[in-house]
Amino acid sequence: MFEEASEVFDNMFKSSFPLTFIVFLPAVLILVSPLPAEAAHEFTVYRMQQYDLQGQPYGTRNAILNTEARTVEAEVLSRRCVIMRLADFSYDKYQKALRQSAGAVVIILPKNMSAMPQDIVQQFMELEPEMLATETIVPVYFAMEDEELLSIYLQTLTSSSSQGSLSAAEVLLHTATANGFQMVTSGAQSKAISDWAITSLEGRLAGVGGEDLPTIVVVAHYDSFGVAPWLSYGADSNGSGVSMLLELARLFSKLYTYKRTHAAYNLLFFVSGGGKFNYQGTKRWLEDNLDHTDSSLLQDNVAFVLCLDTLGNGDSLHLHVSKPPKEGTPQFSLLKELEMVVTSQYPEVKFSMVHKKINLADDMLAWEHERFGIRRLPAFTLSHLPSHRLAQRSSIMDVRSVSLSSRHGAGEPHVDVKKLGRNTKVVAEALARVIYNLTEKGAPGDLQIFTEQMQVQEEHLSAVVDWLTAQPRAAQLVDKDSSVVSTLEYHLGRYLKDVKRHYVKADKRDPEFVFYDQLKQTMNAYRFVKPAIFDLLLAVCIAAYLGMMYLAIQNFGVLYSVVRRITQPKNKAH
Amino acid sequence: MTLFHFGNCFALAYFPYFITYKCSGLSEYNAFWRCVQAGATYLFVQLCKMLFLATFFPTWEGGAGVYDFVGEFMKATVDLADLLGLHLVMSRNAGKGEYKIMVAAMGWATAELVMSRCLPLWVGARGIEFDWKYIQMSFDSNISLIHYIAMAAVVWMFTRYDLPKSFRLPVTVLLALCVYKAFLMELFVHVFLLGSWTVLLVKAVLTGAISLCSLFLFVTLVHSN
Repeated sequence: MFEEASEVFDNMFKSSFPLTFIVFLPAVLILVSPLPAEAAHEFTVYRMQQYDLQGQPYGTRNAILNTEARTVEAEVLSRRCVIMRLADFSYDKYQKALRQSAGAVVIILPKNMSAMPQDIVQQFMELEPEMLATETIVPVYFAMEDEELLSIYLQTLTSSSSQGSLSAAEVLLHTATANGFQMVTSGAQSKAISDWAITSLEGRLAGVGGEDLPTIVVVAHYDSFGVAPWLSYGADSNGSGVSMLLELARLFSKLYTYKRTHAAYNLLFFVSGGGKFNYQGTKRWLEDNLDHTDSSLLQDNVAFVLCLDTLGNGDSLHLHVSKPPKEGTPQFSLLKELEMVVTSQYPEVKFSMVHKKINLADDMLAWEHERFGIRRLPAFTLSHLPSHRLAQRSSIMDVRSVSLSSRHGAGEPHVDVKKLGRNTKVVAEALARVIYNLTEKGAPGDLQIFTEQMQVQEEHLSAVVDWLTAQPRAAQLVDKDSSVVSTLEYHLGRYLKDVKRHYVKADKRDPEFVFYDQLKQTMNAYRFVKPAIFDLLLAVCIAAYLGMMYLAIQNFGVLYSVVRRITQPKNKAH
Repeated sequence: MTLFHFGNCFALAYFPYFITYKCSGLSEYNAFWRCVQAGATYLFVQLCKMLFLATFFPTWEGGAGVYDFVGEFMKATVDLADLLGLHLVMSRNAGKGEYKIMVAAMGWATAELVMSRCLPLWVGARGIEFDWKYIQMSFDSNISLIHYIAMAAVVWMFTRYDLPKSFRLPVTVLLALCVYKAFLMELFVHVFLLGSWTVLLVKAVLTGAISLCSLFLFVTLVHSN
């Protein structure tokens, strides 16, 4: 046959060019065709946090995933990718998957988070810190639900739950009939990001009237935190604090432009980064100001430091202190002024002071003011949360969008602009009363300074919160060129003087914090993936079929003669 | 799924052709070049058909899911050109009837296999995902081999001058069945909403019936003289 073939090729080359073309073009096309990489479904997944803090590893340590999908109902989970939906998620199931040494966990979050029942959201929020508390070897991913992903989940669910204790043959049959999915991520292994700089911003309003004026510092951290960095929008914690800080800066910059209202207090505003990682930005800022420079507003005569954290909701205000302020100090007067403003102007708000000593043995500081407390600066944090342990401060559920039907009552993480505006008003009034010393001057408790042209603008607050929650602001994602930082800088620069950036980089030898990359990836779900044994089985079947075909064609003569014998009598009759 | 799977599909699709070529004695007649010529004719006929379809049959613009009965029927009618092509191939070859039929059918079917199945198999069956449709495609190519042999036999009988009068009607019916088989299958699928495996089975049964009938006619015709 090969001699014939070569003869054919000879003929082809000699005789007809078009024929050559027709035969060879497809051949070339076939040879150069690339390997197909189309998946049944391609979707974006967000990896769980991975970071080291003070040498302690947290979160998932792995990013590569290439395993078969199962749901938690399956008997065997080892080296499988366990997919769960948020509605069925529980810590027990999560732990079960990890205990059975699953290859990976993918948690499917609903597209519209606010439509979820409240108890599930609450439960998940409380689980987030627990999932991050220890390091997890296998990759953990979060995905947004869509129709395709839901159908993949449901198909996996049916095939997973039908698996009982089957025999080997049944398992083989099962692999031939069932729909399996292979989950594959496209990215590389996660590795530590070197030289990551956390950016913080400061700006000031200088007072008038002599040397050595007392300074009031207003601080809010802008970064957000959640179980997955790309899903942490941090609306209430701490988008609300930052928007309040910007509004205070706007209001007081107005007051400080007129000679009559220019007070004898310096106002220092600080938007800190890395707040969710033990207030790294604040720590470095304090070191820079107190240890490395000779003259700084922080070095002499700080009246108090007011930290704003999670203020966008709730009907209570808590002033967290690490040491109850003594009578006669500016701290004490702010406390009293806050009390007075709340009782005389907003009786529906419950105001209280919460005292918690700084625990240096803890890995994490509770509130931002403790950073200042350690450096012996009088400081406190204002928040609507009664405790620093509440999950709202570090949850991916802390989002801006609110559906009116499911959200009412206290405790849900979202920003209510009305309440944020009211809280801003309370803080602004109390600060003004301290700065202008209004109580001693005999002003009544219900005197309102910030009204009419000076009033707190809710649209302004809401616009800032909307902008802040338009993108995830996890500390790993906001670098010094990011739009979050530059826009914040621009905003501060509109109202304040001497706007400066401060960078924190972890020490190279003994890093205090280490972030890792590969936090957002594309995952492919390949359909009907069969084990190699199935291919082998198929090959055996095909070989048997071809053997039968061979016998049938070899013995075609038998059929032919049978047909002939049947038709012969007819022929004779013909 | 893998190259192995592609190998499986390829073997399933091609080995029956190879076996048929070897066992039918075509290799002894030095018929390879003739088969290639038949294949070239196939390409030419398909090109003509495509030009004709593109020129005279506008794209069906009805709603989705609506079956354009008349349009599909007319398109199937264009397949009559296949019969002409087969006749052309056979008329250019001298020799015994079986030899002419086998050369025409083998060349024709192999050309179709190479042109319309090779590329999808190469692209699809090597992918990571497993799909039964490539195995089905390979089975389908086996069926179409039988189909073309039967069709060539019927065309050969139809064009004989010494065809008895009583044979004229059954041969014409078979000819029509051969041409409109694809159309009938589509109609079946549309009306009964068959699954892909059932379609394959129905196709196999239908093709088997047509080939058996043409075999009976052929045997009767050949041995009556």
